[in-house]
Amino acid sequence: MMRASVRASLAIVVTAVVLGGALIGLLSSYWVFLGTAVLITGVALQSLGLVVGRTGMIALCQMSFAGVGAWTVGYLNIVGAPGGLSVWVLLGGLAAVPFGVAIGLPALRLRGINLAIVTLAFATAFDTILATITFPGQTSFQAVPRPELFDSDEGYFVFVLGFYVTIAVALEFVSRSRLGAAWLTVRHSERAAAAHGVSIAAAKLSAFALSAFVAGISGGLLAGYLGTLVSENFSMMQSLSLFAVAVMAGAHYSEGAVIGGLLVTMFPEILRRLGLPQDIGNVLFAVGATQALSTGETMSETFRRLARKLVPSRGPNGKPPQPASLPAPVMHAAGAALSIENLGVRYGSVVALDKVSLAVPAGTVVGLIGPNGAGKSTFIDAVTGFLPLYYGRISLEGKLLEGVQAHRRARLGVRRSWQTNRIAPELTVGQYLRLAADGLSDADIAAVLAWLDCPHPDTPVASVDAGTRRLLDVAGVLASRPAVALLDEPAAGQSYEETLRLGKRIAEIPKLFGSAVLLVEHDMDLVRAACSHIAVLDFGKVIASGPPAQVLAETVVKTAYLGVEAEEAAA
Amino acid sequence: MNELLTSAVAGLTAGGTYALLGVCAVFTYRLVAVVNFTGAAIGTAGTFVLIALYEAGFPLWPSVLAGVVAGTIVGVLVGLVMTTWFSEANASTKAAVTVALLVGMIAIGLRLTGGQHPHVMPDLFPGSAFRLAGVEVTIASALTIGLAVLFTVLADRFLNATRTGLHLRALSERPMAAELLGVRVQLLSVLVWAVTGTFTTFALMIIAPQRSPNFMTLSLLVVPALAAALVGLFRSFWITLAGGIMLGVVEGLASSFDGVSQYRGAIPFVVVVAVLLWSQREARWDDAR
Repeated sequence: MMRASVRASLAIVVTAVVLGGALIGLLSSYWVFLGTAVLITGVALQSLGLVVGRTGMIALCQMSFAGVGAWTVGYLNIVGAPGGLSVWVLLGGLAAVPFGVAIGLPALRLRGINLAIVTLAFATAFDTILATITFPGQTSFQAVPRPELFDSDEGYFVFVLGFYVTIAVALEFVSRSRLGAAWLTVRHSERAAAAHGVSIAAAKLSAFALSAFVAGISGGLLAGYLGTLVSENFSMMQSLSLFAVAVMAGAHYSEGAVIGGLLVTMFPEILRRLGLPQDIGNVLFAVGATQALSTGETMSETFRRLARKLVPSRGPNGKPPQPASLPAPVMHAAGAALSIENLGVRYGSVVALDKVSLAVPAGTVVGLIGPNGAGKSTFIDAVTGFLPLYYGRISLEGKLLEGVQAHRRARLGVRRSWQTNRIAPELTVGQYLRLAADGLSDADIAAVLAWLDCPHPDTPVASVDAGTRRLLDVAGVLASRPAVALLDEPAAGQSYEETLRLGKRIAEIPKLFGSAVLLVEHDMDLVRAACSHIAVLDFGKVIASGPPAQVLAETVVKTAYLGVEAEEAAA
Repeated sequence: MNELLTSAVAGLTAGGTYALLGVCAVFTYRLVAVVNFTGAAIGTAGTFVLIALYEAGFPLWPSVLAGVVAGTIVGVLVGLVMTTWFSEANASTKAAVTVALLVGMIAIGLRLTGGQHPHVMPDLFPGSAFRLAGVEVTIASALTIGLAVLFTVLADRFLNATRTGLHLRALSERPMAAELLGVRVQLLSVLVWAVTGTFTTFALMIIAPQRSPNFMTLSLLVVPALAAALVGLFRSFWITLAGGIMLGVVEGLASSFDGVSQYRGAIPFVVVVAVLLWSQREARWDDAR
């Protein structure tokens, strides 16, 4: 992972040096001046890409954050703060962070649409406030000075390029880190993220705060670029148009931000030279954004797809690290790993679970079976903290879990897999496992993947078939070596042979990983192969429990589960 | 005291407009599952057709009719974009699309109407309707509030008491399933867009003389409208109605205090933040995900 980040960062730096050098060396000052505007817009777009592209939220006040940064720089200039523009720009970025957090906070738990509304309302509010208080130095014509070394147009271009590249490289590292994987997962499925112990609030807030910081920097850079600013530079319309461009170009890619910057800067320039009105640009951005949203592919993604066609990739590069041995099991206390007493769940007047009691002793695999609609998935949801309300007691290694949020339960050691595929397709297999199990070495990850016949860590999840994604989900749960692993139909989508193999693997989990397992499954061969104890659920009640052979022979189980009529079963 | 009442009552026209736009936003959200950022822009387009015709010397009321028809058509066009390409998209994507459309509509609108160039917006309903505790209540404010209440009643009855309303609710939950049941999804959705287009256009025509009639300013009335809709949590028509009127009244009150009045535009933001913080006590997980 680290190597991939370094490679990508080197590519960014080399491209920036070559293109930047070419621009300065070959073109006139005028074009260099325009190039600086491209980069400043690019920085603003990177900040927007962080929120829009990575976490999938709609943010419509990015230029207001930039305005906060610019205002701060203007103020520091007026009061004659030490440090010069480069320090002021950073301080401007920091000044925008509290605004980002304050606006992100009320929109945390609810759907992304609310963030769109709150950010748009903030942009309006900021417009009125800025129109009233005006920029420091706006009326006294005190321009923000550029650093002496970078005073010329070429010099300031290099100054801005330095910021752009630094931010791009930093974002490259963050996006490949566990935090970056958490953002993508939150965008794809908040539940899945919480099931890996990711705090949704922290993930969203961190993205929003970082985004405000970068936007603030772009505002500060603009202050040095133009010298004096007016509130129109940061109006709501600018934010809206920037959003459209970000959606159109794919601003969460480093080349996407530059493409967007080019569109914003060069399009009016071209229109001006053609003698056409410059505001047509926004119409194009609106059409482009709508097009990108309908195809689900941004300009950057289109270019990347075409580039891949031209230059076929070498496939996952490098040999997999030798899958020598699995990571050592985590020792958990003996006794009941998970114990459930009188668990009850109601959906309106429907009783989904009725006084269910069940224990999963440490070191064992317990099966939970039952017909469709018996309440098995509801049971897992309740245990892992995804239901707002249930009755009864759930305890993990003797510790009560009442009132503990889902992501905290996951961190305590209650982990689950899902019936439906919830793995963010933008991740690689290795990134996914690192998200699921923090702090594993590359060799450990490769070993866990190999043990479950999962693909190479560098494989993109998007290219993995649905059945294998199930296994990947299980691999993630196991890699974290939790106290209890709740596996929700892991064999769905597997062939018969694969299912038998999976059964053997699941039976080994307690020994190899130290985790107790609760297995929800329909496949009886898998259940027989893996479980030492099973419980049968029907209409929300446990109707039988005990060793598999004995339970599956019971008449009541055959009637409820295997669909055999009572008299047939008795015969 | 009387002065305060005067400024509060002065906010009623705006409040009625916010309420009507807000109720339209809730209507659109509940029936076609779109948080519509273009709501006010659709009405603005119709309003500017009226202005153009009026400035060209056409008689007032035929121009109003033409404007309302134009607003309805623009609403239908936006609706066609949404139903043709985004009927199966998630709520967040649909909202993003309407934001993109808003950018385009404002750009086109500003171009066609000459940007900040001043326009003559005829006052459709000048004069005072009645006196309330010694304060004149204008016809315009009585009319916007009346219209908002009418739309609220109709929307409420329609959704809860008619078969078509039931169909539309089914449609917003699961368009595909509704289609399989034989509901004419696209036709019904476009009808929703047409109806909201008609009402918002009329509302904007009434409020336009009070604001600087410029395409962008009017389009951005969507902000207080969505704030009102949030007060109703995008569910309740009646709470949205109350929220919109309240927003207008608070703005009116704020305008009478020096030192606060120039920050009036920040009021929707304060309301949105307060409502979100309040409503966050519940609602944990996205259903769909």
